[in-house]
Amino acid sequence: MEWIEAGVDDQDYQVVKLSGECDLYSAPSFARAMIERIESGACRLKLDLTEVKYLDSTGVGALIRILQTAKHSGCAMFFCGISGSPREVLQMSNILLLMHEEDHTGGEP
Amino acid sequence: MNSLIVRQLIVDERNELFDAQGMKYAEFPSEYLRIREYSTKVLAECPPAFLEENLLEQQLSELIKNGIKHGNRCDSSKKLKVWYDLRKRARFIVEDEGDGFADLDEWNDFYRRRQTALFENDFDDFLRLASYRGPRSTEDDGGSSLIAALEYWNGGMIYNEAHTKVGVIRWFSSGSAK
Repeated sequence: MEWIEAGVDDQDYQVVKLSGECDLYSAPSFARAMIERIESGACRLKLDLTEVKYLDSTGVGALIRILQTAKHSGCAMFFCGISGSPREVLQMSNILLLMHEEDHTGGEP
Repeated sequence: MNSLIVRQLIVDERNELFDAQGMKYAEFPSEYLRIREYSTKVLAECPPAFLEENLLEQQLSELIKNGIKHGNRCDSSKKLKVWYDLRKRARFIVEDEGDGFADLDEWNDFYRRRQTALFENDFDDFLRLASYRGPRSTEDDGGSSLIAALEYWNGGMIYNEAHTKVGVIRWFSSGSAK
């Protein structure tokens, strides 16, 4: 999996775009990078999962750790582009309930 | 009125899910970096409708990962054994050579507390309990593989008495569960 900085959106969220397979081999380093970013002071963060085609429990765990850190640090987070099997995995894990998602018109939830 | 329903990991040594008659068999060394490769090999001849994008591979990889990482502790001299049958449904038995999933009862207790928090809309507690953390968990463990597994394996998920072997089945309607 790769992730790139995609600037700041019109709601002042720092946007990070993920692509590829968020799995047991790639998710831990992604989690560490995002946690470090939050602990360094990021207060509005959006993760774009549009190009993520595979998500396993390590990837789910990474998202949970990021959400826990964001809550602890007072960082507002939301997500967009969650679809296909990654969405199914998050639903089966009940984690989708914790993830604020951008609505289909592009606004905040 | 809504009621709280919590699934559990079940131990049943004599369950029919452990009957390997007619199933194909493969065994692998416990190499962590090859987990997804092993799943791909087992599913090489799987009917496409069962794959559901990559959901079946993902869920089989979780079972194999649990056996290799938590069961065999990535000791490559220990085997990870897989029996599989992909006729009409997806059925697997996955066995490791470790000392067993010792925390099975604790996990069931954790899962009840987690689902209770969800049922009561206590999202602060639910976020805190979102991942399972046992004595052997590492920082990088997802802690949610068994939660999704209980949902995915819609025909059952059973452990043997030693907690070294799990039998699972997923049924599909019209060639697909959707």
